[in-house]
Amino acid sequence: MKSCLIVDDSRVVRKVASRIIQDLSFEVREAADGAAALEACRDAMPDAILLDWSMPVMNGLDFLRALRREQGGAKPVVVFCSTENDADHIGEAVRSGANEFIMKPFDADIIESKFAEVGLV
Amino acid sequence: MDENVYSEIADLALKGSGQSIEPSKSYLIEARLAPILRREGLSTVADLVSVLKARPDTKLAAEAVGALTSKKTRFFHDRASLERVAAHVLPERAAKAPDGRLRVWCAGGSTGQEAYSLAILLHENASKLGETPVEIMSTDICARTTAAARSGIFGHFDVQKGLSIHRLLAHFTRLETSEWQISHAIASRVGVRTHNLMQSAEGLGRFDVIFCRNVVTEMAPAARARVILNVARQLADGGMLVVDSSESIAGLIAGLEPSRTVRGAFERNVDTDALTIAA
Repeated sequence: MKSCLIVDDSRVVRKVASRIIQDLSFEVREAADGAAALEACRDAMPDAILLDWSMPVMNGLDFLRALRREQGGAKPVVVFCSTENDADHIGEAVRSGANEFIMKPFDADIIESKFAEVGLV
Repeated sequence: MDENVYSEIADLALKGSGQSIEPSKSYLIEARLAPILRREGLSTVADLVSVLKARPDTKLAAEAVGALTSKKTRFFHDRASLERVAAHVLPERAAKAPDGRLRVWCAGGSTGQEAYSLAILLHENASKLGETPVEIMSTDICARTTAAARSGIFGHFDVQKGLSIHRLLAHFTRLETSEWQISHAIASRVGVRTHNLMQSAEGLGRFDVIFCRNVVTEMAPAARARVILNVARQLADGGMLVVDSSESIAGLIAGLEPSRTVRGAFERNVDTDALTIAA
């Protein structure tokens, strides 16, 4: 079974995303900020990461840059999931190593479609 | 919904577009006619039926017929056949295009996602096509839908279904409304027209490839055959009709055979005049 780490400071978003991604047959873990996510990755690198942008402690972009420098950090497919969805922000996320980008608000169909774009489903 | 109201509307749809609306799907009628009711200041579908009965064959009746059809579509739907057409079928025909250009028709193209997806693929496969211009035409029965397709503007949810973020950034600009506008380079490859597939499409000319996907599925059997015949008559010699991989039109039309090169596609193996609805 593939694994997905959901990183978002909103408990509600994590819950909604968890359900959707579990339905896509992923084993799901959650983290509430970038620093907690980095620890979770050092524990075990997930196959996929759904990543919020603005979070306390360490934001999504800083997490992503740190992740890509970690050992094995090139492996996870990172799907940004953010309300910062103008072309500049999206471009910056992609240049920093994101594989896909979901603009909030999302639904199950969007997550499945985006996961399909990067070969996760 | 009142049974008489249902059958009036179901009959209007069947005659107008060939669409078959099962009694179990009568909820679709209310949902799809709601915008027209609002605009006309009518409170129920029964009111609309009364208005249409008093003045049949008006623009309003045609609008209702168009509004009742499914608008469901998405970018890069059933992408394998789109990619095959863009990367192989059209480049192979480009070399022998008689008047130096190729034409593609998205019949029942709804809000344009299919046509624009193909235009994006042609842009990406430009080197394979060389100098041969490809004209893409998208038609739909519904004038409102056609207008939406022509605008090239898509909502937050539409651009996230089937489009990768790379293609979104490469070919769209974000508007202040948070909608996304397709680029001029892609839009200029696509023409949009209103057309009812139940009528002859002779005026649209001949096409090298015709997509007619998920269009006849919701039609009554007799209408299905008529529409496929109308569409197949517009195939250029050696042209290809592509339906959805989930649907089959095999056996509907005499003279139309499954393609050997593209799955789900059909080719005309007789003269246009010899195409007939199979007995």
